[in-house]
Amino acid sequence: MSQVVENLLYTEDHEWLKVEGNIVSVGITDFAQSSLGDIVFVELPDADDEIDQGSSFGVVESIKSVSDLYTPVSGKVVEKNEEVEGSPEQINQNAFEAWLVKIELSDSSQLDKLMDANKYKEFCDANS
Amino acid sequence: MKTSLYEQHLELGAKMVDFAGWEMPIQYKNLKEEVQAVRDSVGVFDVSHMGEFFIDGPDAIKFVHELVTNDIEGASNLKAIYSPLCNDKGTIIDDLIVYKLTETKLMICVNAANIEKDLNWIKSQANSYDITISDKSADYSLLAVQGPKTFETLCSLELGYKLDDIEYYSIQTPDLQTSATPTLFARTGYTGEDGFEIFGPHDYIQNIWKQLIQAGVKPCGLGSRDVLRLEVCYPLYGHELDDTVTPLDCALKWTVKLNKNHFIGKAALSEYEPKFRLIKFTLDKGIPRENYKILNSNQEEIGHVTSGTMSVVLNKGIAIARVLKEKYNPEEQYLVEIRNKVLKIDITKKAFVSGGHK
Repeated sequence: MSQVVENLLYTEDHEWLKVEGNIVSVGITDFAQSSLGDIVFVELPDADDEIDQGSSFGVVESIKSVSDLYTPVSGKVVEKNEEVEGSPEQINQNAFEAWLVKIELSDSSQLDKLMDANKYKEFCDANS
Repeated sequence: MKTSLYEQHLELGAKMVDFAGWEMPIQYKNLKEEVQAVRDSVGVFDVSHMGEFFIDGPDAIKFVHELVTNDIEGASNLKAIYSPLCNDKGTIIDDLIVYKLTETKLMICVNAANIEKDLNWIKSQANSYDITISDKSADYSLLAVQGPKTFETLCSLELGYKLDDIEYYSIQTPDLQTSATPTLFARTGYTGEDGFEIFGPHDYIQNIWKQLIQAGVKPCGLGSRDVLRLEVCYPLYGHELDDTVTPLDCALKWTVKLNKNHFIGKAALSEYEPKFRLIKFTLDKGIPRENYKILNSNQEEIGHVTSGTMSVVLNKGIAIARVLKEKYNPEEQYLVEIRNKVLKIDITKKAFVSGGHK
């Protein structure tokens, strides 16, 4: 069974969001990393890039697959995790620590539609 | 469709995918470990989805010699010969391995996706020959046991036969005279490593599989098989090879024997000026994938990636690309377009990994 962490928000694309004031950290969930297998490459947007809700902001690649990362919120990238870009296996090792980007929210109401840990758990059970 | 080992794959926790209508294991627990097992030790693949045709009769050798581009008559019995199968235009219908068993019997192993197409084509070419063609794909299971420890591992099993230390691309077939579905041990494979491919009836292959798994041999899926073959630059039909190109466009000139009296496609290939060539390249950052564009320094598209992956051995992106021959100059710097970026590629002449087969 894949792990789910309390006090985070979740998307149907298997991303997690940690909200701290106006800044959210975005990563992919344990469910996502385990279905992808060994992650060998990550491409992330640079700081100051503006990203729009629903658009692809980067990719994670396993040996055999390329998966787009979709942002559930609009805003400005304030930081990307260069450490994870350098050693993407950190995502496999601990998906909930390996944040990918921090985004400054432009519309915090976009968070309202996301799932909490319990709902996400049910979502994963229904989809596995 | 399911192979005779389907249940075993599920028990081993394989991730199954559809491949040419077959439910096949793409990987078990960890693709990287599967690749490493084959490079360093031994791994086993279920490739029972591939097709097996038998050609029997007084004209069997002559027929296959004239059917494919490589030399069959000149090969000894109990040898395997890799060859493209071409049409009259010289473009590639499939690539296959011919197993020459006796003066009147050969087996041909073809790609799973092409079984029907190949069989129809082969039958349509057989009119003036004294032969029978039998599709025994449904009667056979096929294991590829690959890696430097293959021979010693197989010798430690109860095979029912004494396996000889035969040469690369040779065959041992102990029950050829007595069985309608003879067992073939062929020292062939698709990984660049030493290994055997074992063709046999389903119950026999199930038994060997069970023994291999009990002996600790790592089960490997089609995902690792693809990485392994790409690391040693073996072409794959539908990627490097297809019916829009000839063997001369894809580094297979060595398999086209224009000195043969006759073979299908000879006239076309004798006059053909290749339009394309394959290049191999690595990337330090990023992973080239199929259909990514290859550009020259003027940002002009000169071709596309036919296969790309992350190499487990090199730990960087590797790819084969098909480029227009007239636009290609080995001195020039080329680029690959990945999403919205263009990255410089490092073209290499040698295969990415040399492989250890004898």
